[in-house]
Amino acid sequence: MSAILAAIVLAPLLSSVLIGLLYMVSITKMPLSKRWFTIPALLSPLISFILGVSAFLYVAKYDVPLHFQPYLWLGVGEYKIYMGFLGDKLSLFMVLFITFVGWLIHLYATAYMSDDKGYGKFFFYFNLFLSSMLLLVLADGPLIMFIGWEGVGLCSYLLISFYFQDNSNVVAGNKAFIVNRVGDLGFLIGLAILFFYCSGVGFSYENIALTIASMPPYLLQIVGIALFIGAMGKSAQIPLYVWLPDAMAGPTPVSALIHAATMVTAGVYMVARFAFLYELIPNIGLFIAYIGALSALFAAVIATKQSDIKKILAYSTMSQLGYMFIAVGLGAYSSALFHVFTHAFFKALLFMGAGAVIIALHHEQNIFKMGKMRQVTPVVYATMLIATLAISGIPPFAGFFSKDEILLVAFSSGEYLIWGIALCSAVLTAYYMFRFFFVVFEGKNTSHVHHPHDVSWVMKAPLVVLAFGSLFAGLLGLPSLLGGSHLIGSWLGEWGMRALHVNHETEWMLLSLNIAVSLLGIGIAYKKFRFYDLSSHKEVKGIVYNKFYVDEVYDFLFVRSIRKLSEFIAVSLDVNLVDRIVMGLSHNFIRLGHILALVQNANVRFYALIMMLGISAASCYLILVIG
Amino acid sequence: MMDILFLLLSFFAILGAVGMVSFHQPVHSALSLILTIIALAGFFALLSASFLFMVQIIIYAGAILTLFIFIIMFLNVKEANLPKEPNKNMTLFLGAIALLPFNFLILQAFYKMPLLSAPLEKDFGKIKPLGMELFTQWLLPFELISILLLVALIGAVVFGRKEEA
Amino acid sequence: MIANSLFMYIAVAMILFSIGLLGVISRKNIFVIYMSIELMLNAINLIFVCLSNYHHDMGAQVMAMMVIAIAAAEAGVFLSLIVVLYRRKKSLDSDLFRTLSQKEAV
Repeated sequence: MSAILAAIVLAPLLSSVLIGLLYMVSITKMPLSKRWFTIPALLSPLISFILGVSAFLYVAKYDVPLHFQPYLWLGVGEYKIYMGFLGDKLSLFMVLFITFVGWLIHLYATAYMSDDKGYGKFFFYFNLFLSSMLLLVLADGPLIMFIGWEGVGLCSYLLISFYFQDNSNVVAGNKAFIVNRVGDLGFLIGLAILFFYCSGVGFSYENIALTIASMPPYLLQIVGIALFIGAMGKSAQIPLYVWLPDAMAGPTPVSALIHAATMVTAGVYMVARFAFLYELIPNIGLFIAYIGALSALFAAVIATKQSDIKKILAYSTMSQLGYMFIAVGLGAYSSALFHVFTHAFFKALLFMGAGAVIIALHHEQNIFKMGKMRQVTPVVYATMLIATLAISGIPPFAGFFSKDEILLVAFSSGEYLIWGIALCSAVLTAYYMFRFFFVVFEGKNTSHVHHPHDVSWVMKAPLVVLAFGSLFAGLLGLPSLLGGSHLIGSWLGEWGMRALHVNHETEWMLLSLNIAVSLLGIGIAYKKFRFYDLSSHKEVKGIVYNKFYVDEVYDFLFVRSIRKLSEFIAVSLDVNLVDRIVMGLSHNFIRLGHILALVQNANVRFYALIMMLGISAASCYLILVIG
Repeated sequence: MMDILFLLLSFFAILGAVGMVSFHQPVHSALSLILTIIALAGFFALLSASFLFMVQIIIYAGAILTLFIFIIMFLNVKEANLPKEPNKNMTLFLGAIALLPFNFLILQAFYKMPLLSAPLEKDFGKIKPLGMELFTQWLLPFELISILLLVALIGAVVFGRKEEA
Repeated sequence: MIANSLFMYIAVAMILFSIGLLGVISRKNIFVIYMSIELMLNAINLIFVCLSNYHHDMGAQVMAMMVIAIAAAEAGVFLSLIVVLYRRKKSLDSDLFRTLSQKEAV
């Protein structure tokens, strides 16, 4: 039964290999019809989902986690690392929505990418990504997780630079990979320290949790920070977030799957997995929460002035991730994961809807060139409305319950500053999301694009399914306040919330406050943008529009200095120092050889002289040493 | 009596040798070598090797070195044909120093050996016992040496031929 | 008595041998080189005869005679070689004959 875990990871991996081979055949030998690619691509996430559901039900029934260690991967002396899978409540919870949302996005992508020549290549990367993400989630130890971690980073790079003919896309892909790498360095440092101290019996989470208490506290803090740096890179928090807006250069299904629902949540998952570590270092947790809060606010501010439809959504992703990190930082892992769950639904829906709008308007991405899309694509309009209400935190939609829970956690742990920041971000979130919504779908004028058309049902069906999810997913986390039993919280019991020290009245007050601020944001947006006249739109480019010039600062600080250093090394250091040593060595060696060759001058008398010197040397030796 | 003879002979031998190595003209060197050879023959006589004494003079001094001088004169060696040897004396001196350890080593082995014991057999070193020894014990080397001489003769003739124009 | 000690004879022989060796190495004149070789052979002959006297053995004297015979054969070959070489280079400098060396090989 536990081998099912390996099957969950292997299904998309094998199908990606198959698709890759078929793609190679189709470009070298004979072109294959798209159906060859579509069928494996759609089948494997579905298989993973079904297997995931059965594993989930099994664990729900017997309440014992699934372990599977097929073989010894690295055995060096006394260090043994097994390839292992762990299917406990946390990982199977993640598997469920990853495979489900992933399958829906695959379906959507078959329609979105249908005109592209690299259709097969796309699904090769896409399935590979899904397999890596599942490996990340189902790993039983940090080293195996790191395989998946790197795999998703790689696939993110491959998919962002999918339209490689345009150089700026490739640059965006490079940026994503490189910034990710900086985070990975932190992750590796933490991993190495853990390995050094805790790998006695084996390097799985359980073994580490057992031996972790033996580490000195300062080292625990270093590990905590180092691992979080990895999460910073993967989940786009300050300061390693700069890749996420540029990553929107990839096709929209990529943005939907990778940069909304799955890869960016890997950081949150990782911190939740290492809960046993972070519980020992609560001040690091506070640091994480502050970073999350700041990222949430920062991204929300920037998003209020963006005009590219996908960039708005990218910054909103970063902002929501900030919320999740607030929760994990304060120890409320199940709240964070609840938000991950609901966020997957509405963010994927938002991105896919945006993609539908882009396709409908023939690849126009500036929202100020769209308008009144309500008439062109009514289904998209309705589903996007549901998603926008969800993200703004309006009950009974999904985002409300998870966001409310996070704000409650912040308030009740006494971190009022974090709570305040999160509340401001909530206002801004509602504001900019509805700004986006009203400009695109309402407003006075229709878009200038000729012949906008509606999109196919293949693209609309996943939107509808996800809309249902955005509506009802919140109910899984209905707090006891409103008469529900917090299903998610009880499922993730070990990672559950600490007991909340607030009474019901405070809870009600906070709840109503949240609704009030969301309505405030929506109200402001309504007034400004509901009947927006696009012809009177002026492009204002201020400091917020330019993302506070952070990219330029990074370029100045890091990129330029490293480039100068590289040039210095390549031109001066390499030529003068290294070449001189290496080439000098070989030249002098040859010269030495020439000098030594003088001995062979074919002068027989000279040879006789050498012989005589040899004889006298030998006799000296015999006299002195042997006597 | 024997001592004086010995000292005299050794003096001439070494004088001739040094002269041979030092002279610039080859004829002078050859003549010095003849002096050394004859002194050496004297040594053989002192050591009761009478036949060898005669052989040395007849063959070595009389044939080999005569051939030598003949060739030197045959080639009509002029001053221009002789090589210039500027460092000859210095090299000789340094070489002599370099060879001291070698000599020391060999002489050390012989240092403690006792005196030559007398008396010898009545006709030690005379031609009859030499002949007996030569044609019984050393028959094979004797024959081989005659072949060697034949080969050397042929070789010398072959070398000496006029080259094809 | 000096004349009766083996050591003195050997000493003289070794001196002659060393002088011969020095001659081979120091002199460039081919004739002198060859004469030094002959001197070395003679010194060895002296050692042979000494030892034959010491051991009362005639074999060493026979050996000395063989050496003389070989020296004679060698003289013949050597001198004809010198004639040939002289015809080539018109000089008696042994340093000119270097065709074994890489640079001079034709």
